[in-house]
Amino acid sequence: MIGKERILEILQGVLASSEADQTEAVFIGSQRSLTRFANNSVHQNVAERDTDVIFKVALGKRIGVASTNSLNKGELTDALREAVRIARHQVENPHFSSLPSPGEYKKVETFFEGTADFTPEERAEGVRRIFKRVEDKGLKVAGAFSTGSGEIAVLNNLGLAAYQPVSAATLRMVVSSDDSSGYADYLCRDIKELSVDDLAEVAIRKCLDSRGPRNLKPGRYDVILEPPAIGELLEWMSMIGFGARSYQEETSFLSGRLGEKIMSEKMTIYDDGNDPLGIAMPFDFEGVPKQRVYFLNKGVAQDVVYDSETANREGKVSTGHALPPSSRSGPMPLNVFVEQGNEDEEEMMASMERGILVTRFHYVNGLLNTREALFTGMTRDGTFFVEDGKVKYPIGNLRFTESMLRAFSNVEMVSKGRKAINAWWEEVGAAVVPTILIKDFNFSGKTE
Amino acid sequence: MKDLMKDSIKELKRKGVDYADLRKVESRSQRIRVKNGEVEGISSSQDSGFGIRVLKDGAWGFSSSAVISEEEVERVASEALRIASASASVNKDKSKLSEEEPWVDLYQSSYSEDPFQIPLEEKIELLMKAVEAMKGDKIRVAEGSLAFDREWKLFLNTEGTEIEQVITQSGGGIVATAFDGQQVQKRSYPNSSGGDFATKGYEFVRGLKLVENAERIREEAIALLSAPECPEGETDIIIGGSQLALQVHESCGHPTELDRVLGTEISYAGGSFLGSDKLNKLQYGSNLVNITADATLEGGLGTFGYDDEGVKAQRTYLVRRGLFVGYLTSRETAPLLGQRSNGAMRADGWNRIPLIRMTNINLEPGDWNLEDLIADTREGIYLETNKSWSIDDLRLNFQFGTEIGWEIRKGKRVRMVKNPIYTGITPQFWNSLDAVCNRESWHIWGIPNCGKGEPSQIMRVAHGTSPARFRKVKVGVKR
Repeated sequence: MIGKERILEILQGVLASSEADQTEAVFIGSQRSLTRFANNSVHQNVAERDTDVIFKVALGKRIGVASTNSLNKGELTDALREAVRIARHQVENPHFSSLPSPGEYKKVETFFEGTADFTPEERAEGVRRIFKRVEDKGLKVAGAFSTGSGEIAVLNNLGLAAYQPVSAATLRMVVSSDDSSGYADYLCRDIKELSVDDLAEVAIRKCLDSRGPRNLKPGRYDVILEPPAIGELLEWMSMIGFGARSYQEETSFLSGRLGEKIMSEKMTIYDDGNDPLGIAMPFDFEGVPKQRVYFLNKGVAQDVVYDSETANREGKVSTGHALPPSSRSGPMPLNVFVEQGNEDEEEMMASMERGILVTRFHYVNGLLNTREALFTGMTRDGTFFVEDGKVKYPIGNLRFTESMLRAFSNVEMVSKGRKAINAWWEEVGAAVVPTILIKDFNFSGKTE
Repeated sequence: MKDLMKDSIKELKRKGVDYADLRKVESRSQRIRVKNGEVEGISSSQDSGFGIRVLKDGAWGFSSSAVISEEEVERVASEALRIASASASVNKDKSKLSEEEPWVDLYQSSYSEDPFQIPLEEKIELLMKAVEAMKGDKIRVAEGSLAFDREWKLFLNTEGTEIEQVITQSGGGIVATAFDGQQVQKRSYPNSSGGDFATKGYEFVRGLKLVENAERIREEAIALLSAPECPEGETDIIIGGSQLALQVHESCGHPTELDRVLGTEISYAGGSFLGSDKLNKLQYGSNLVNITADATLEGGLGTFGYDDEGVKAQRTYLVRRGLFVGYLTSRETAPLLGQRSNGAMRADGWNRIPLIRMTNINLEPGDWNLEDLIADTREGIYLETNKSWSIDDLRLNFQFGTEIGWEIRKGKRVRMVKNPIYTGITPQFWNSLDAVCNRESWHIWGIPNCGKGEPSQIMRVAHGTSPARFRKVKVGVKR
């Protein structure tokens, strides 16, 4: 860790030399380690220390962006000069008005020393315990155990100076037998929350329960989607529909539908960067405080997230969802929550007459028709046929092709319990999602 | 600095490692995006650092840093050793590497026009012209982008290899998004996902003829709004080159990565149906299917002099006359098959270890002229430009959507269809291939965004393809 004072001192020094009308510096520092294993053996074990400093400058309304991963003063100055050079060649951006002014940030605990200082030996010990449990059952395991920390700072010459240290730990694994597999994962800021043994047992149980899969004919079935499956759907919905850019360009499934009921009233989906139940991060990459934004409120389409530029286009204010200036994606929610329901998972299972329990999806793609949120993907690592409220037998993997607007209009039950699921960038966000029971979900094919 | 790094490798050797290598990488990139007559973004980035990979007592450790100094090289080397010891404390089996000659070489990719010397104004003007030509009624978004990258790489290992490589890549593309108040249709040129890319200079961008193709793209996007839906059913399909490139990528390139076959990607991107029991036995495709891995191909986005284990670039067969005959391999995995590495280990920068990655994976050209092939097709659909992609965790069940299709009846393209989707099972699909077009329509498509590994790595790969025909494929399986 470099520390707040040192980072601000370095960047303020460079900002002071800027020839631009307005200048912003985004600092992203990371120290990450990851132990990767397969076939009950460690095959990759890596560590990295990196920094990224991105300068965004404005000459009037002409914008330039340049970055370097060096903290050397000369190279930082060169990058800033390159941003100014680019801005000089730019045409005016009519949607730029100003860099953000200083804001008030909520205090959220995002850094835990135990996670940041976790050692390769400690990860090895965790992995050894997983191997032991798996080998005792005659099974194999593959997965990754990552721990790390980072520092994010945003400064501009309007006086904005935001800094947040972060840490995150993730463990995910697939336990396999000759004809089955089972998945489990856990993401947290404080590694003390992580129980390696409990997680291994979940994956082992899924794997053993999945042995001897039978073929099930594709078609429409009721489904129980567990959090990893919901999390992947939400990640795609965020990419194609919850940001202002896709909304403004009419490609979002929310475009032209705000105020309309487009999902079940059981579905409330929002983004909240300040809720420590998720992977909280109180400001965005422009240094704007994160606001809670409801995309769906009891099934009614309500809003999308904005950065400064997309907000200016509509005469609004940023909701605090800018990505780094070098990104081309526009604003994006990184802390999506699905509001919890009233049932527990056992009640869901008991209520299902005939359907499918899905642990996890694989290779979901949400680009088939973004205005209908038409997605496809495969099931994996624990797919079961359910009848009369009980798991009857495991089944081979199925392909779904379904509109998420239709699927989430057919929600029957939402679980009380929710779980943080890895999203795009584990240090600054995650989806927090429940288990959901959906009627009449379309499985369009199966694998061999 | 190079001497310092050589000393570090010598020191690791003195400490008794089985093997160690060091990669120092400096990269430079430029991105330009124009949308609806406005310059949406111009960015430039510089990135540098180094990583040290150590094999000690048969177990791996890797550490890396963006700070290049004597103290940091020492710290990173020690950390790599410490991590390797942690790995060894858990592992029962020991990793071994195939033999490799110690190379000392300098490799530089070729270009006619240095993309970083072309004035920014010229690049902006090109995109502005193309975007202007796509503007029109019902076009909601007209956009274009260019990307330029250069990487300097130093590779040293304990076996005496010392390689420097300088690789320059360029590319770009345009997209027209049409909207009629209800639906959205997109057309991209020359390909989706940012266009086409090559290990070449600015001459490649000039050759794309973005402005010349802009009007056609606009018209096709608008025409798609009123085109009928792609019919559902089983029919013959002719897949255009860029979509076939992604088909090769997902259903042949990825499943032939030997690390994936051995299970090391299972928890993330999945495994492969091409287990070693199928090598030289499985009829992967019809006897017209010849698929090569060729890192020596002039200008391919997967072209280099040496891979990131210091193995010289090679051309090998993965599928020959339909028979599955080879994998993409590394120095660690190849000996498990009694082979030497065929040079497919590639890393996404200094802070990532090399993984087995695609190079240029090509469906070798056949004999057909495209127009003759269409004329020879009684009933079917011609599909072009990828829109969506999905494949199962063993690379068997796939579903692709394309931006556009044309119905073929009695040997003629009769009408445009929208929202085409096709699906299949990999070996059945490739065995249904009965025609491949010739070298006239063969092109190396650059794919700049192939994801794999944890921590995630993005790799630049390419696929040489020409249009090909597949019999009785399930299409239009939307609901």
